[in-house]
Formats: sequence, C-alpha cells, structure tokens
Amino acid sequence: MASSSSSQLPSSVYNPRRHVGVHAERVSDVASTEFPGHYPGEDHSWSLARFKESLKVSVKRLSQRSIEFDLVGVDASIANAFRRILIAEVPTIAIEDVFVWNNTSVIHDEVLAQRLGLIPLNVDPALFEFRLPGDIPYDRNTLVFQLEVECSRGKKGEIINEYVTSGDLKWVPQGEQESVFGDMIPAATNKDIVIAKLRPGQIIHMELHAIKGVGKEHAKWNPVATATYRLHPLILLNPSKPVPPHLAQKFASCFSPGVIKVSSDGQVSVDERHLRKETMSREVLRHKEFEGCVELKRIRDWFIFSIESEGPYAPEALFPEAIKVMRGKIASIRSAAEALLADSQDLAGGAGAVASAPDADGDVEMGS
Amino acid sequence: MNSQQGQNYGSNPGQQGLQQSREMEYLCADCGAKNEIRSREPIRCRECGHRIMYKKRTNRMVQFEAR
Amino acid sequence: MAESTPKIQILKGAEPDLSAATYQIHDESHTIGNALRWMLMKNPKVEFCGYSVPHPSENHINMRIQMYDGLSSLTALIQALKDLDDLCVTIDEEYGKSLQNDQYERWDEKS
Repeated sequence: MASSSSSQLPSSVYNPRRHVGVHAERVSDVASTEFPGHYPGEDHSWSLARFKESLKVSVKRLSQRSIEFDLVGVDASIANAFRRILIAEVPTIAIEDVFVWNNTSVIHDEVLAQRLGLIPLNVDPALFEFRLPGDIPYDRNTLVFQLEVECSRGKKGEIINEYVTSGDLKWVPQGEQESVFGDMIPAATNKDIVIAKLRPGQIIHMELHAIKGVGKEHAKWNPVATATYRLHPLILLNPSKPVPPHLAQKFASCFSPGVIKVSSDGQVSVDERHLRKETMSREVLRHKEFEGCVELKRIRDWFIFSIESEGPYAPEALFPEAIKVMRGKIASIRSAAEALLADSQDLAGGAGAVASAPDADGDVEMGS
Repeated sequence: MNSQQGQNYGSNPGQQGLQQSREMEYLCADCGAKNEIRSREPIRCRECGHRIMYKKRTNRMVQFEAR
Repeated sequence: MAESTPKIQILKGAEPDLSAATYQIHDESHTIGNALRWMLMKNPKVEFCGYSVPHPSENHINMRIQMYDGLSSLTALIQALKDLDDLCVTIDEEYGKSLQNDQYERWDEKS
C-alpha cells in the first residue's frame, strides 16, 4: 500500500471519550455513551446543526477499481448500515436463467450455470426493473445473452476455441434495448474470465437471461468485491514514562514502518501523518520493558472505509448509491408509520372522548 | 440446491414421436463413431470394435438457475 | 405474499396511548434496526429503545420504544426516521463535496 495522503490529526482526536481501548487480550470502551441522560448536565440529543459541524467526509485514495475515504463523526450503527447496504442491497444485473441447448464439454450444466451467474456484467441497473417471481420477462427487466462456442482443430493442428471466456457472451437486444443502450454494449466487465475449457468436437450452446437483483438474495448480485471499514488507530505515549533511548529502535519496530519517529538522541514520537498505516498488531504490548510507556487506542467515530468495486459502478459511485438505498428504506418505513399515525388518529377521533385504544392490530375492544 | 434439477422444457411432441420410432444412436467411447444398438446383437463399434458406448445428450433444451 | 403483510405492525401489548409499543417492521434487518435504534436513543423523551431480529429466517425486526411523559412512541419513530434521512442527506453532500474539491491520491490499479 502506498502512503495515504493524510495530514496532521485534529486535536479533538485526543478527547478520551472518543477512544476505544486496545489491550493485549481485550478491548474496552467499545460502545458510544453519548446519549441524552448519560452525562449529567450534557445535552446529547440529536441536532442536525451539531452533526453537520462534527461530520467530516474526506476521500483519501481513488483508483478505477477502489476507493478509500474517511467518515468521521458518525456512530457505528450508521457506518455499519452503509457497509451492509453496499454488500447486500445495492442492485446489480446478473445472469439468472440458463437455457442449455447443447453442452458436450466436461463441465456439467449445473456447474456451468453457476459459474455464468457469478460473471459481473457492465450494465447500469438503473435502466432495469426488478423481475419478481412470476413476472413475465420483457425488455425492461431481462437481458438476453447467447453463448455459442464450438471447439475445433485448425489446419495446422492448433485448437480453435479451447477456452470459453466471458468475452464470448453475445448480447441479443430485445425490444427497445438497442436504442436504450446505444454504444454501451452489455457485456462482462472482465472479458477474460474462463468459463470452460473445450477439446475439439465439443460444443457449448446456451441462452442466458440476466435480471436485476440484490446481494442479500444471492452473492452474484453483490456490486462490491469488498466493502469494509476500520477505526482510525491512535498511539498515546506516556510522558511520565518515556521509552529508554537505547530501546527506541526496538520500540519503533513494534509498529508499522513510519508510524514511530526516532530522533538522533533516541527520543521517540508518533508521526501523525502515517498513523493510519498502523496495523494495531499489539506487538508493543508483548514486551515487559515497554509496559506503561504506551497506550493503543482507536477513534470510535472515525471510520476508514475501503470499497472495491466489482461490477457496473465506478468505485466513487458506490457510496452515494448506498445512501440512496438507505433513504429509500427510510422513506418506505416512514410512509408506513405515517399511515399508521393517521389511522390511529382517525380511530381516536371517531371514538370521541372515550379512551379507546388507537391500536393498529385491532386487539383492543372499542368501549361504548 | 433443490432448484438445481434441470427441468425439461416440453419440446414439440411430433419430433419426439418420430424419434421413438427410429433406432437410438450411440457414440463409441473409443473412436466417437455413431452406432446403433439392436437387441440380441453384441454391443460392438462398427469402426473399431470397442465395446463401450455412450448415450447421446438430449436434443431438448434444459433450463437451469444460475445459483 | 409481500403485498399482504403490512410494512409496520404494532404488536399486542402496546399501551393504549402508544407511550410504549413494539413495532414489527417487515423486510428490514440490522441495517435499519440498529441505525434507527441509535437515532431514537438520541431523543431525550425516549425512555428505552431496543430492537431484535426474532429469528434469522423471518424477514422482520421488532423495535421496542418506551417514552417518558406519556408521549407517543409513533411520533418519536416518525421523527427519528426524518432525522435519519437528514443525516443521510448530510453525509451524501459532504461526500460529494470531498470527491469534487479535495486533493486526494489517484492511482492506477490493475485488474
């Protein structure tokens, strides 16, 4: 991993309330305590203005396949919701139905079908609708591919079509798909995935139907290779028990390279710019001579996200997509809750002053 | 896994009836030549004399779920 | 099947004024459960909030909310959903800003 572009840490990082303790065999202070009523005289109720002030999102590294960014100032439940959505609920397109006309290869139909399902396709899922069980396939919910490969021996004895790869998938446009897709020909994101190997005379001929789905249904619809976060590491040196100069190099070698600086006179200090590279191996805690010299922490609300795209989405587009899905979920629960509230108010209004229960499950009798 | 059983799609019955009346073709396991197997005749390849035959794959389409 | 089950049901045993109730939310999991629980706990009028996934093969969560002062837990739930949405919008905006304006390392990753 190349060095990440990171600067000096803000001083608020040293607020002990933000620290998760990392010890030799256990962790401490894992859960957040910033709730109303926990600290006397402190207001920890939700405030959008305060949240906006403390929130910091900053992209650190970006390639054509992956992104690393910091999400600072949110609770683990929020960060985890986005991580879970990235893996399980951001939709993609994948092959679902395989119609085998002929397959004389040594790979069984079932195995071949399973392999085909896992091929990531470059199709924008926004162009498609979900096809639920029982729905009729048509051009807005189904993408058709043809896979027809025959292996043979050439004039010079060479084998033609020895490898069936994902590049052999041929898109068959349906309905208005041709005009919708234009130059964006649906295909595999990687054309070099070997699907099967053939010998001369063997043939594979099948039709493949791809549909939109989400990762919680089957991993083939997972848009990411990985979506993970880790908490920002922090190393606190104890000023009242400095590391002995003759052990400074040994101390530094307990951490990831570049994390600990050693001055010419053997003084040890933490290089904040490279702190995020620390792997938190806890090696330093194994050595008696460093006992009490250092404390290992993680910052509870500083999430270092790492997302690798494997599918149609650009890596930087995945996180906004997850937020979109999250907002969709919130909206559907909210409309249901508001309908429930309207129902209960109707009920209460209809019953007048009688203390009848506005209970949605209808279990409470209406006294009258 | 239960969805893994291939379901035969009903192909046209006319073709099926035609096939049943005709002799079944088998492939020699050694040389790949087409052979017919008749009752009371030894199973033996016409080309190479090999005694193992493979049944041909169905002509019908088979559907699978890619899961 | 999905059509017939309502998105939210109030389970039996809720207080008549809904000052304490358990809401069964269908088609949801820890993803929304934990985030919503956190947002509800940020409300000073909420006495208690917790959620559970009663069984991994059943596709719903139970969200228990108890309120102080006889307030309605349903209103608190709706407020929490609103706040959670605001939070999402804020994060989205901040992310977009960083992606647009920040200086970050761009590198070539071979696949």
